Amino acid sequence: MKKFKSILMIALVVLMALPMFASGSRETAKAAAGTPEDPVTIDLWFGAAVTEAGMIPDDWVGYEIIRNKLGIDLNLTMLPSNESDQDVRIQAAGAANSLPDLFMVRRPVLTNLVKQGLVAQVDDCFDKMPVRTAQQYDANSIAHTTINGHVYGFASPGAIARNEGLLIRKDWLDNLGLEVPMTIDELIEVARAFTFNDPDGNGRNDTYGYGAFVETDATLKGYPGSRLWPIMGAYGVEGLWCFDSENAGLNIYKPEFYDFMVTLKAMCDEGIIDPNWLSYKKDDFRAAWKQGRFGIMYEQNAAYAATANYAPFDANFPDGEWIVIDAVAGPEGHAAIGAYDMNYRIYAVSQKAADAGKLDKICELLEWMSSDEGYYLLGWGQEGVNYVIEDGIPVAGDLGDAAFTGPDGQVYTQLRNMVFYNGDVELASRYPTYVTEVSGKTMSALVTLREMQEKKWTSAIGSGTMPTPNADVQRYYDQSLAEFLTGARALTPENWQAFIDQFNAIGGEAWNASGVAKMQEDGLIH
Amino acid sequence: MAIGKTANNASALSQKPSKSKLRREIARHRSVYLLALIPLVYYIIFKYVPIWNAQIAFKDFMAVRGVVGSEWIGLENFKTFVNSFYFWSLIRNTVMYSVGKLLISLPLSIILAICIYECTRPVLRKVVQTLAYLPHFLSWVIMYGILLALLAPGDGVVNDIIKLCGGHAVDFLSNVKTFPWVVLFSDAWKEMGWSAIIFIAALMGIDVSLFEAAMVEGANSWQRVRYITLPAILPVIVTVLILKLGTILDAGFNQIFMLYSPQVYSVADIIDTWVYRQGLLEFEFGLATAVGLFKGVFGMILVLFANWLSKKITDSSLF
Repeated sequence: MKKFKSILMIALVVLMALPMFASGSRETAKAAAGTPEDPVTIDLWFGAAVTEAGMIPDDWVGYEIIRNKLGIDLNLTMLPSNESDQDVRIQAAGAANSLPDLFMVRRPVLTNLVKQGLVAQVDDCFDKMPVRTAQQYDANSIAHTTINGHVYGFASPGAIARNEGLLIRKDWLDNLGLEVPMTIDELIEVARAFTFNDPDGNGRNDTYGYGAFVETDATLKGYPGSRLWPIMGAYGVEGLWCFDSENAGLNIYKPEFYDFMVTLKAMCDEGIIDPNWLSYKKDDFRAAWKQGRFGIMYEQNAAYAATANYAPFDANFPDGEWIVIDAVAGPEGHAAIGAYDMNYRIYAVSQKAADAGKLDKICELLEWMSSDEGYYLLGWGQEGVNYVIEDGIPVAGDLGDAAFTGPDGQVYTQLRNMVFYNGDVELASRYPTYVTEVSGKTMSALVTLREMQEKKWTSAIGSGTMPTPNADVQRYYDQSLAEFLTGARALTPENWQAFIDQFNAIGGEAWNASGVAKMQEDGLIH
Repeated sequence: MAIGKTANNASALSQKPSKSKLRREIARHRSVYLLALIPLVYYIIFKYVPIWNAQIAFKDFMAVRGVVGSEWIGLENFKTFVNSFYFWSLIRNTVMYSVGKLLISLPLSIILAICIYECTRPVLRKVVQTLAYLPHFLSWVIMYGILLALLAPGDGVVNDIIKLCGGHAVDFLSNVKTFPWVVLFSDAWKEMGWSAIIFIAALMGIDVSLFEAAMVEGANSWQRVRYITLPAILPVIVTVLILKLGTILDAGFNQIFMLYSPQVYSVADIIDTWVYRQGLLEFEFGLATAVGLFKGVFGMILVLFANWLSKKITDSSLF
């Protein structure tokens, strides 16, 4: 018994000491040959395509192919789905100088890492990946990751540009005998009718005109965010930055921004915007329109029309119908659905990996991913197991759960965003035409996308590369606008000017000046 | 000579027993020491070793140069924090929530503990105890969903009641007047049951004969609580209070981060949320560490002061 206790004690002490060595061993000085027998290890932190699904299983055939064909031992790690969590994860790894060899990163974070000397320059890599470069990296994409004259990452096409739109409940319009609004005044009138005239005919005062939530970022979507863009568009102030030669700079400085604020404040005060809009998170907002709370909204094509997303609305309101409408015109004739930038997913190589001589192997890996073999394997899985080809398009067929759309098969496509470039095959496969279960409507997120893209948009290309303000300036900007809207601060011309003056004083003017300089430097002004 | 030797031996003996006694004590209570080893190792690895890295508070931290290689910049990071446009607002909000939580949660936890302890029906006691503990295990993400369902201006339960009574809906989560109360009471609701555990444990230690004697003397429930229960658990209350003062500048990052929005920044932004935005997201780890150090030193001063004050007034202290 005594001996047993002693052994137990030693085992416990050893176990407790283990975390001290958790940082792992240092890489050996001898570089791997990069052959199947002596493969180069590449650690890849990627953004999962299906965030709610699990990790790629260990039995994925891709590991074997990559090892045998490229001499690479691929170690995959899924990044958190939330962008802030991703940023924290990457920055924390950066602070510890333990970034992986290849990792997905957002541009503001990339800028920080470059300043720290943690990211490798990849200017010479594009020639080593002719197929992938032709498919994914055009001049805009390369400019997106160019910092101080050098390229610090591979920017692949991300979300499709202009994939959101202004939608209105056509069944509510019909019930109330209203026309599709063409101007901001008509839109407000319709919103008023949707709020007070019982558009769903249920006898209850439970509907609102416009629905939204606060969706912002520090480069493209300034406060109050993109969900209000169609209203901002009527005043020509959609987007955080204006790239017009006459008014280049932050939109907040335009007099029309104040007019927009007055309109939005009046809508809030009258109660024709869902009053929950300031409290909603994205999921709450999406649950709300499916429950029939409001009749006008700005929504993304797939979030609205994809099979699983439309199904709850279809079940709740079989006679309900949303239609995509044109941007409404403002008092001066401005109209825009919103502002758009090119969206990219950036993959960067750590300086550590470059120093270890892994850059060429990383190029080989990326080039293989864009070959036919890699493209279909990463995009849809194995033919006959996870997809079948019909009319040149990979489809689920009768493959059941193992299909790339099924619960078992979708995990094999977690890397698909590393190869997709929004080509026709991908879109046709991703957004198939279908018939809704309850109402029997024919729906297609692809048709909706094309409809949304045809509407009037304002180019804000380059927004993603614009400088971001420090936390105090950002807070002052967001907080002040929010206070005007909630009535915590009276929205008067005097107060507005006082806000602008203080904003300038704490760093807003310098932020604007650096942004304008960046626009000029990159030739973004049009 | 023999006498001298004996004297030497005697002196050696007078010292030796204490060492061997210590060894004997350790050997005798080895299981307890073994158990203590686990938290000890934890504290060494995760609390004491990282103190070395706190030097980056005084450096322009560059990850490639590492902690030691980064350039010394003196108090620059502290100056950046103190010169922040919102410095006083951050301090005010942080202290407001910390002190507010202390003032609301602590008495509620004590009351709950006494109620549970005084409850004579075992089934009811267990049900109340379980229900009170449950919210502690919910994340603030889930709590936010619950709060939204309760407090949303459009269809929240509370606002439905207000509207039913003829009132106007209140956006509790976006209104600067109501937001602090939402923070304080949602925290109390979530943590009250869990915090009560330590007081229930203290109550269990009270000699039952004291209550029996008081009842014989005709003391009612309130008198028993006032003259027996509260004085008996006073040292625990003081200990909890002193420990909480040490983290006075930790106002609850997770909670505020989930609940706040630009419309309530003026009353919601605390030191930790500022550090998250300015320090972590902007890769200013030196600044983040400087603020952490500032909070730690401030907390330590408060603990020392509170301990001294408690010793002076109640004759009860932590150390």
